[in-house]
Amino acid sequence: MSAHLALSPVADLVAATLLPPEQQAAAAATLGIADRSDLARHGCKGPGAAEWLVARGLPIPPAPNSWLPLDDGGRIARLGFTEFLIEGPVALIAPLAAAPRGPGVYPVLRQDAAFVLSGSRLDELLRQSCSVNFRALDLTARPVVLTSMVGVGVTAIPELCAGRPTLRIWCDGTYGHYLWETLLDIAGDLGGGAVVARSID
Amino acid sequence: MKILTCPLNGPRPVSEFFCWGEVRPMPDPAACDDATWADYVFNRNGAPGVKREWWCHTPSNTWFIAERDTEKDVVVRTYFYEGEA
Repeated sequence: MSAHLALSPVADLVAATLLPPEQQAAAAATLGIADRSDLARHGCKGPGAAEWLVARGLPIPPAPNSWLPLDDGGRIARLGFTEFLIEGPVALIAPLAAAPRGPGVYPVLRQDAAFVLSGSRLDELLRQSCSVNFRALDLTARPVVLTSMVGVGVTAIPELCAGRPTLRIWCDGTYGHYLWETLLDIAGDLGGGAVVARSID
Repeated sequence: MKILTCPLNGPRPVSEFFCWGEVRPMPDPAACDDATWADYVFNRNGAPGVKREWWCHTPSNTWFIAERDTEKDVVVRTYFYEGEA
């Protein structure tokens, strides 16, 4: 818990808004929102970033704005042409962060607020908060969407988790409170609410 | 809603973009005369017509060029800048 408090910019707010345990399963099926800011992640960019990551055994998404799953959990997302976001177990991320940088590789500070939204009414929330039509995306191509959600620039990955529409979003941590409060407000209107991460992820 | 097409992210509402103004090559400040430099610093082209402008897709920080007809309020095309950085 202490690590969570230390790493998540919205930990206090999340703790204060979590639904009671007996209501979480129903909320998660409809529209659950969970905080995943405490996951380890690493960012890097630059013309040498892809080569540097390959040398560390990571797969590189071939197309800009796409992602790949990692063997031992987590994912690597290609943001644009030469920027990467890697999220996964600490055992994977810590060596990356500590590794010497190669030529043309620049670290990107990742102090994100990261949320996961999932449930049958996810698309209704997206239609109220974002201008991108996520229904038109081909999820088998593993798209990454960089867009604005309720006025906040976010990186979003839509996917199906256990058959349920799921969206992972990352934003600048300083917008975390606003984004959490706003999305939770919409989720509440749609019959969902704040749940613990293991309910939906 | 106005739609602008980012060369990388595709069609998006114009609220996701920021305009940085017309592409204006900078004269060499060491070689040009004061009038040329003052014109570059202080004056902007307000005449309607097709202009090449810097635009940025702010969620992804993608910079590109949009050719925009400011008389007809139409975006002619968008593409990545291919000149010197």
